[in-house]
Amino acid sequence: MDDSSVSHHNGGQVGSEIGVSVNNKQNEESSQSVQYSIPGILHFIQHEWARFELERSQWEVDRAEFEARIAFLQGERKGQENLKNDLVRRIKMLEYALKQERGKFHKLKYGVELQQGDMRPPPEEPPVEPDPAERAQWKQGRQLIKQYLQEIGYTDTILDIRSNRVRTLLGVNNEEQSEESNYRNCDKHHYSTNTALGRKMMMYDYGGKDQQCKGAVSGGYNEEGLSVQENAVFANFEFLANQEMDMDEIEDIDAKQAHHTQMKQGEEVDHEAEEVLNELNLLTETEADGGGQGDEYVVKFPSGSSTSGPAGEADEKPLALGELAQLTVSNEPEAYDVAGASKESFRKTWNPKYTLRSHFDGVRAVAFHPNEAALVTASEDHTLKLWNLQRTVPAKKSAGLDVEPLYTFRAHSGPVLCLAMGAPRSEECFSAGKDGTIRVWNLPSATADPYDPYDAAVQGPVLRDHTDAIWSLASSHGRLLSASADGTARLWSPRAPRPLLATLRDDTTAGDPAAADFADAATRAAVAYNDGTLLLYDLETAQVVLRVSCSSPTTRVRSHPTLPVLVTAHEDRHIRFWDAVSGRCAHAMVAHLDAVTGLALDPNGLFLLSGSHDCSVRLWNLDTKTCVQEITAHRKKFDEGILDVAFHPVRPYIASAGADGLAKVFV
Amino acid sequence: MADGTQILRRNRPGSKAKDFCRWPDQPFEEMDNTLAVQQLIQQTIRRDPSNLEAILKMPEAQEEGVWKYEHLRQFCMELNGLTVRLQSECKPNTCTQMTATEQWIFLCAAHKTPKECPAIDYTRHTLDGAACLLNSNKYFPSRVSIRDSSVGKLGSVCRRVYRIFSHAYFHHRAIFDAFEKETHLCKRFTYFVTKYSIISKEILILPKLDDEVPINQPVGESEA
Repeated sequence: MDDSSVSHHNGGQVGSEIGVSVNNKQNEESSQSVQYSIPGILHFIQHEWARFELERSQWEVDRAEFEARIAFLQGERKGQENLKNDLVRRIKMLEYALKQERGKFHKLKYGVELQQGDMRPPPEEPPVEPDPAERAQWKQGRQLIKQYLQEIGYTDTILDIRSNRVRTLLGVNNEEQSEESNYRNCDKHHYSTNTALGRKMMMYDYGGKDQQCKGAVSGGYNEEGLSVQENAVFANFEFLANQEMDMDEIEDIDAKQAHHTQMKQGEEVDHEAEEVLNELNLLTETEADGGGQGDEYVVKFPSGSSTSGPAGEADEKPLALGELAQLTVSNEPEAYDVAGASKESFRKTWNPKYTLRSHFDGVRAVAFHPNEAALVTASEDHTLKLWNLQRTVPAKKSAGLDVEPLYTFRAHSGPVLCLAMGAPRSEECFSAGKDGTIRVWNLPSATADPYDPYDAAVQGPVLRDHTDAIWSLASSHGRLLSASADGTARLWSPRAPRPLLATLRDDTTAGDPAAADFADAATRAAVAYNDGTLLLYDLETAQVVLRVSCSSPTTRVRSHPTLPVLVTAHEDRHIRFWDAVSGRCAHAMVAHLDAVTGLALDPNGLFLLSGSHDCSVRLWNLDTKTCVQEITAHRKKFDEGILDVAFHPVRPYIASAGADGLAKVFV
Repeated sequence: MADGTQILRRNRPGSKAKDFCRWPDQPFEEMDNTLAVQQLIQQTIRRDPSNLEAILKMPEAQEEGVWKYEHLRQFCMELNGLTVRLQSECKPNTCTQMTATEQWIFLCAAHKTPKECPAIDYTRHTLDGAACLLNSNKYFPSRVSIRDSSVGKLGSVCRRVYRIFSHAYFHHRAIFDAFEKETHLCKRFTYFVTKYSIISKEILILPKLDDEVPINQPVGESEA
């Protein structure tokens, strides 16, 4: 073997030879035994020693590392526990503060003391009772806040008054009204962390609570109740943990702790827990806004306290209700979860916000501005109107938000039936109607006055090739697609010298075009006929490339913004989905109680909006094809209900247009 | 348009212009929705726009306020047609003021302080203002019943609207005649304000139009 060669090469260096693999060891020993020498052995032993030492020190380092890690994790755990305790304490603080405030409010309102339980400290306190170290911390905190108070002009006397007040609240004695306002003042300071919103919330709750308070004589704190409360509190921990602790706030609360432990009120605990949670929600909401509000409130409130109770209440309550409404909205579970939750434009439910009244007859079409909060409506009263949703009518109108039209477009000599908005920044829109003309409009600026002088430049080119009513318009990339009862659909370049680009006609189809939309990145046109036929034209050749038919007249067609899918609305109450490649009917569903008249897809292609003569607007999840919301929006004129629906391309607005002459915008 | 047993009074997408609103009349008693009065008025006008008696024959048990209100809405709406025609001829530089006869210059009431608007602006502003008022949620929250105080508002709208007719008559006679021939709108309006004494007779400065409009001429496309 090569043993010999190895040994020869290495000469007397035994150590390195030892390192040769184990299965050769026997041979080595026999072959090397003759070569042992004292220096060689010593060297080997030294070498081995050094190696073991090295390994040992490595292990030690590792061990130390792990120990450090363990210590770190333990510390972290402890920290978490402390945080948790802190938070629990904080919740209780708030709870007590609430009660205190409630008692005071009750007294102010009814002039009698709120009956309260014994003054014994809460039996439940121990779990959150701070250990001595924490107590020292509190002391420090208290010291600090005292310092703060002095800085802003609160002296010890006021602090004393404050503790007097606590006694007062506990029913120890009666006090004078003047003092009372003082108490209020300093109390307000302590509450500044709660912020105005939180306070209003509490005020609101008192309103509902007073009856209970009056009648119920407290039986002290109920142990079971408290645990319920705690459970509720703990349930909310995730939410709390995310929240950054504001040191000032904690100190403030700590300062209060002393008082809290002294007083107790008997109340329905479930409600309390609820309130605390609500309050915390409010806190998070308002903390985002910054603490400025709280200070403002302090300034404002003393004057309010000098007025009589009921009057103050009248002022407060509507506000409180408003905030409450906001609160419930924010607490609602998501009704539908959009894939991109980041996309702010999709919220759980749409609510009516604006009613656009100004048309004298049915509104046939509605289209949103490409980016502004503005829209155009087209009506059977021969006009179009431009609306700016951000310019609502001044306070002279009583009910909610009415919008007055910014501009009235007059040029059609018959009902306007359809509408298309131009590309972003083109500031143009197109309309067409029963008179067979397509008109291009230059949109007046969103700040125009409705009573400005007439500007003829608003009217753009007029396209007159159609010979009968035009029922549908679609615009894309500066081109316009129209569908007319004269049997043709036409493609236009509206501002070109010779605007007509192509005429799409199919002689084998018996019906007339009822609707049209661009498809496949505007290289094709989907034309729906009123005999149920759906044709896909290639816009280069003007030839039919796909033909599908169904039994029921089609009223609308829309192509999906991202997928090769065409959606059609039908007289027979159905909405049908077609594969734009194969022509297969991918899905058909009964969508309404009456003929479906309006279709709109949201810009991401996730939702479908439909309107019907049954006067309802429905929102569909395109993924599951389920209805996620229904809104009943309009009244019938003859047998017509809703005539069109629309999505705003970038903002969270949807709109419906009805035969009753109204358009409605939902947010 | 009747399909089978049930008549659905609808304009379906894709239908021809001549079929627009071509459905059998519905008796007023059978109209059970909130827009019944508008439906009735439009239906009667469609049948024969020259038959003023029929158009302005108020159904029994109909609240007169609503009846007048709906008629005025219809007038303002149809006046859009006249305005469209005027826009092509009545320019701010030729008709700098809203006049009929030389006797009066009408100030436009749409502005905070009434203004001497050119005639076309006066026309547009008056119609826009009327649209606002007549659709105002404050004065006309319902189309089924209307407060007396709100009915009082109709008078001033009528007075201003009449000036549009008179301006067209005295300054754009060709347009006026063509429009009137098709719609009989001014005649109907005069009949309306006289019948319900909304405007005093002295203000009605146009000569009687009856002779100029052949009454039983077949009417082409006159839509609601």
